[in-house]
Amino acid sequence: MILVLAEQKDGKLNRASLETLAAAQQLAGGSGPITIAVAGQNVGAVAGELAHYGAVIAVDHAALALYTPDAFVQVWQQVIAQVNPAVVFLPHTYQTRDFSPTLATRLDRALITDVIGIKGTLSTGSGQAGASATFSRPMFQGKLTADVAPQGPVPHFITIQIGAFRADAAAKGSSAAPISNASVTIDESKLRQKAEAPFQEAKQAVDLSQAERIVSVGRGIKSQENVAVAEQLAKALGAELAASRPICDNGWLPMERQIGSSGQTVAPKLYVALGISGAIQHLVGMKGSRTIVAINKDAEAPIFEVADYGIQGDLFELAPAIIAELQK
Amino acid sequence: MAERETLEVDVLIVGAGPAVLSAALRLAQLQKSRGGEALSIAVVEKGREAGIHQLSGALLDPSTLKDLIPEFASRGAPLGTPVDNDNIYFLTQGGKFRLPITPPPFQNHGNSIVSLSAFTKWLAAQVEAEGIDLFWGFPGQQVLYDGARVTGVRCGDRGLGKDGNPKGAFEPGADIQAKVTIFADGVRGHLTKQLYRDLQIGVGTEPAQFAIGIKELWDLPTDRLKPGTVIHTLGYPLREEEFGGTWLYAMDGGRVSIGMVVGLEYRDPLFDPHAAFQHFKRHPFIAGILDGGSIVRYGAKAVPEGGWSTQPRLFADGALIVGDAANFVNSMRLKGIHLAMRSGMLAAETAFDALRAGDWSSGRLSGYKSAVDASPIKTELYPVRNVHQAFGSGLIAGSAAAGMAMFTRGLLPPDLRGHEGHKRLATIEDYYGLTKRDILAASNAAPIDRKLTFDKVTGAHYSGTHHDEDQPVHLLVHTEVCHSICGDEFGHPCVRFCPASVYEMVNDGAGGKRLQINASNCVHCKTCDIMDPYGVITWVAPEGGEGPSYEGM
Repeated sequence: MILVLAEQKDGKLNRASLETLAAAQQLAGGSGPITIAVAGQNVGAVAGELAHYGAVIAVDHAALALYTPDAFVQVWQQVIAQVNPAVVFLPHTYQTRDFSPTLATRLDRALITDVIGIKGTLSTGSGQAGASATFSRPMFQGKLTADVAPQGPVPHFITIQIGAFRADAAAKGSSAAPISNASVTIDESKLRQKAEAPFQEAKQAVDLSQAERIVSVGRGIKSQENVAVAEQLAKALGAELAASRPICDNGWLPMERQIGSSGQTVAPKLYVALGISGAIQHLVGMKGSRTIVAINKDAEAPIFEVADYGIQGDLFELAPAIIAELQK
Repeated sequence: MAERETLEVDVLIVGAGPAVLSAALRLAQLQKSRGGEALSIAVVEKGREAGIHQLSGALLDPSTLKDLIPEFASRGAPLGTPVDNDNIYFLTQGGKFRLPITPPPFQNHGNSIVSLSAFTKWLAAQVEAEGIDLFWGFPGQQVLYDGARVTGVRCGDRGLGKDGNPKGAFEPGADIQAKVTIFADGVRGHLTKQLYRDLQIGVGTEPAQFAIGIKELWDLPTDRLKPGTVIHTLGYPLREEEFGGTWLYAMDGGRVSIGMVVGLEYRDPLFDPHAAFQHFKRHPFIAGILDGGSIVRYGAKAVPEGGWSTQPRLFADGALIVGDAANFVNSMRLKGIHLAMRSGMLAAETAFDALRAGDWSSGRLSGYKSAVDASPIKTELYPVRNVHQAFGSGLIAGSAAAGMAMFTRGLLPPDLRGHEGHKRLATIEDYYGLTKRDILAASNAAPIDRKLTFDKVTGAHYSGTHHDEDQPVHLLVHTEVCHSICGDEFGHPCVRFCPASVYEMVNDGAGGKRLQINASNCVHCKTCDIMDPYGVITWVAPEGGEGPSYEGM
């Protein structure tokens, strides 16, 4: 059995959870049950949403209102003991990266992180992931991909890279599956962290990994004033604004909007690259995007090697034309 | 705010390359064989794990290893591929001549083609097995003194933002106080540089000479080259006025180490060493070998080539200097690992005796210099002490001097005075006359096809280098020089000698150019600190654990 640990925040499902579900369904190979668990406070609505994809275990507890690694490790340890899965899937979010090593170590089980592909299914072989399936994960900043087979006793823990699977590929059942409330106890005396109310360090702070559309701007924009052109295009597309390294290094956009090896890794449905040449450091941060549109003056720019649609031309002519067309 | 911690040890060793690890291991051996109260030893290293900042060709002369760890074979030393055949070629543009005989310094029978990174990792494991603590990701940042006595090293702070102010998780770097500090911060060590400044350890010695080494690892079809094949080339694409050469070493499994070394005393201000390396790969002989292969890793590192006459004073009150930091490289044989290891062992022996005697003054520690003078380091380096300096006068003069040094075992030529390499860089006007030209384009620019040749930014990617963007720039540059006279005089040579596109001149929005420092591309080669013609660039350590990832290099 596969257990998917979904992630929610303030009653809103993290999109990466559905991508992880799609990955779990691929591993299940169309047979075998998938159970979904979600934890937090007031998770009823999220549980209802998830029930379309399979049976849901909901953990509702006041101590889970704000995330702490100790509380989540306690909860998941008990849920795993109750359902006894062969594989546990998690989205490779910041939160998962925080607690999953502890969880796997606590149970002394294998953990494979940042998985981008799955070879084989549980329906063949012994039903153990390591015997019948391998998991692909990037190494050396994406230069190599390794196929890893988990070993040792189950469950094996797998975290799925954001954008590696398609959320809309997660198959829904014909009707909503049952939701059960797990009975877990949280020993609050063992919680070593006390979370305070979350705050945003920068007013504009944005998690670009959650954006469905991104307009990204590079050196071709030439000056800070011109960033407004990209901003208008982003607005017209309902997209987030992002940038390559030189733009953020100049302070023309804040650092948290930087895409690439020293910034964020994103995989939106649409990525529009304006005046970005496509240095490999940038490409590793966005090449997983579903559709890439590149506008660049230089026909030899490497960005065109990854672009689905490329326009060789002046972004200062093209961007306004696209905006005008979108506003029609 | 967090308090600065202080740690007290008997011996502190800074940097974890082959010299340091040999020193640490030797200390542990002495402790075992001679007994007595256990010494406390700490090793700090900026890289996040063993070997990750180690880059070399590398051909290992195993002589020191045999002395340090006689049972190295049974302990699984990764000695790679034994050298099977040596070849030297002289390249012309499009052609090649094989030298009929391989001169003795280039004969490598008995040596091995190794990954220095892998070798260092193994050596570190031997040290850790002796119970010595190696602190990874802790860069020494500042030498601590009590008067003229070295008392230890302050490590780099963590958690400073781009503006130099503490971020959320600020942690001041610890002060490690030691009776004896062994400096092994490598070529152009940033701490040893402080010793040069503060203790004048360079007085009375020849100016250090450096080269830049640029290296790539490639995977080729396994039938292309016989493992153990060693190829060195001279000539194209370097001109008579540039001192250097290339290597190509074939290891098992189709893995090839390929690289170029260029003396950092070239005259042409518009010369670009990285572009020269691309031209080398495009030479039909080399392109034919690399055809169908793919690049695996890229890296660069300066090489101290000045040899024996450029070694600084190796000791001070409470301090010893070993390895590349002391310029122990044989530039004629292109080898230094075994010398670094030897110097580490000798320094450890001196430090051990000094601590047992309760005296770690300069006078007592000068025993290390006597030990070096009586060791194979001198036997090997003294006869070739003039070679790099002679090549500073051109390839033909240099070859003549090198030949003479070989036949007379170093009696001739007489001692040559070297010049600091960066002072040989000519101004644009001196080199090109008054002809106007694009001062930002390299005179030897090479076509980039992203299969055989790569731009520097792509190279930086293949070095695996990583630095948090939100930290103070770790290259301290007096930029007023860049924005006033450097463009007219030298045409901003930093954009060319840096092999990782750290330095860029970009439009300043007011019709001029300004220097942009892409510190996150830095591969820690130190070339800028050496070659900048005004001496206004200082390399300091970035946050601990950052920098290149030289696995396999």
